Amino acid sequence: MRNERPPGRPAGRARRRPPGRRFPAARRTARALDVLVWALVAFTLSPIAFMVYASLSDYNDVAGGHLVDAGFVAHWENYREMWVDVDFLAFLRNSLVICSLTTVLSTLLASLAAYSLARFRFRGNHAFSVAVSTTQVIPGMLFFLPLYMLYIQVDDAGLPMMNTYHGMVFLYTAMFTPASIWIMRGFFVSIPRELEDAAVIDGCSRFGAFVRIVLPISAPGIIATASFVFLLAWDEVFFAWVLTSSPDVQTVPVGLRLYMGQHATRYDLMMAAAVVSVIPVMLAFFGSQRWFVKGLAAGAVKG
Amino acid sequence: MDGSTPLGTAGAGPAMRSGPRPRRRRRADLFPWMLLAPAALMMLLVNVLPIVQGFRMSLLKLNQYTLDQFLDAPFVGLRNYRNVLFDADSPVHAGMLLALRNTALYAVVVTAAAVATGLAVALLLNRDFPGKAAARTLLMLPWVVPTYVVGTLWGFMWQRDEGIVNHVLVDVLHLMHDKPFWLIGGNTFFAIVIPTVWRAWPVLMLIFLAALQAVPEELYEAARLDGAGAWQRFRHITLPALKPVIVIQVMFQIIDNVYSYNIVAMMFGKGAGYPGEWGDLLMPLLTRQSFSYWRFGEGAAVSFVMMAAMLVFVGVWMRAFRRSMTREE
Repeated sequence: MRNERPPGRPAGRARRRPPGRRFPAARRTARALDVLVWALVAFTLSPIAFMVYASLSDYNDVAGGHLVDAGFVAHWENYREMWVDVDFLAFLRNSLVICSLTTVLSTLLASLAAYSLARFRFRGNHAFSVAVSTTQVIPGMLFFLPLYMLYIQVDDAGLPMMNTYHGMVFLYTAMFTPASIWIMRGFFVSIPRELEDAAVIDGCSRFGAFVRIVLPISAPGIIATASFVFLLAWDEVFFAWVLTSSPDVQTVPVGLRLYMGQHATRYDLMMAAAVVSVIPVMLAFFGSQRWFVKGLAAGAVKG
Repeated sequence: MDGSTPLGTAGAGPAMRSGPRPRRRRRADLFPWMLLAPAALMMLLVNVLPIVQGFRMSLLKLNQYTLDQFLDAPFVGLRNYRNVLFDADSPVHAGMLLALRNTALYAVVVTAAAVATGLAVALLLNRDFPGKAAARTLLMLPWVVPTYVVGTLWGFMWQRDEGIVNHVLVDVLHLMHDKPFWLIGGNTFFAIVIPTVWRAWPVLMLIFLAALQAVPEELYEAARLDGAGAWQRFRHITLPALKPVIVIQVMFQIIDNVYSYNIVAMMFGKGAGYPGEWGDLLMPLLTRQSFSYWRFGEGAAVSFVMMAAMLVFVGVWMRAFRRSMTREE
């Protein structure tokens, strides 16, 4: 029995499990659990697999209701036609510009604020921390109209805000900064302060210590926060719908709905566009996954 | 106490304080505020100011004729609140109780299911097995799918005739005779709950998994030596260790789900579609009715009540679990 175990694994597992008579049973259990895990993976991914499948299917099969029976021939032309049917490239570009700028600004503001909240005791620290949490329970509907009016007033004053990139970036940055502060604060708290102390004693300014010592150590937390903000911004629908009226700034969710026609929905093209709109977030997540897992865990656990 | 230096004690002992103290202190006090200022300014402009104005709006008669006047619109006191609660003619009142019921059920069911699934899968993954990292990454995929894609995708999957769900249930598995409607009638509730849970649990799994790995292995060994079974170890070691994380995550899930908008709005066509009496939630209802009928005062009133309710919930929740939160630090 013992010899059948693949090499390289036993140490960790053997320690976790009592030796002796329970061993074969435990091994069977472990096998069963492995199977369960992969079954779960397949089940969980099936909607995504279906999305890709539908994006490559023929529209007549979709509309006729025999999408699956029809047999699978990949209609790659859907991925050409989707850009023509709707000017999806414009929406994708808008999303990329707005979300990237939001990510940079929000992470920047949040790291400054979170550092302040995590490191310094001052009157107002607690109150500000509470305010940060409170922003999480403001319904978008409540501040839509005031914000809309504010933008109109600023527009009238000569600085265009409605239907501009910077108008959207300003809103999104403000919306997602509190959540970023929440995550980053947990991260900064977990960093020992001795290093900054040493730097300050060596004549470094406190801001210098923050920039040169704290930020580099916090890179995992910063990357985690940044990809989190990107995800949140990419996912924003409400303001993207109600605050914009020009295709110059409208983002992907607005574009996605244009595949719903008056009479029929081009599900094949819509699924192709859906696949395309998942890709940037997926890249952001997988690119940062290593830090993301660590950073989010630190923020979430310590928060 | 001069707590605003990052040093705490180092460098600036009590003896040094007597000299140029006032100026140093003033500068020291400003530094944390300078770091806070940009974020605080943004929050002031986009959160605080609009909340104040939003409350003011909830006391005004804001419709298509008065919208231009904005905060100078006719003052009607608490009439918006009364209309929303009792006036059968108010479009915001119509369907409000159903949406409220659905939202409460939805928030509880989704949160319970997502947290339970996330925890169960985290426990399942918290062992060594071949392909562990790959499985974890793949299981995270639903969370990367934006909610508006989740809404459109599942809206397509739930279609009665051409949808894949009915195809699998009826044609492949033969679990049912007739294809049920998913987007009409009582099933609508499941049609919005299932995709939400599908997208929400992976990130919870990731967070729980990280928390599980922080639990010292020695605790389990000691328990095992004392003869504790798997359930007892879970009940008396794992669960208490994870409690602070679970408490926080449940709270955030409840908040998220009470304000859920994207999935319903995308699933029921063009955002303006009525999701039916089992599919409507408060945020989609509010948005739809305020914008279609120009009832922004009533919309603000409901939003304000929702926010107050959530603040009370958060306060009660944090108070109830304060001890388990602080124990961790």
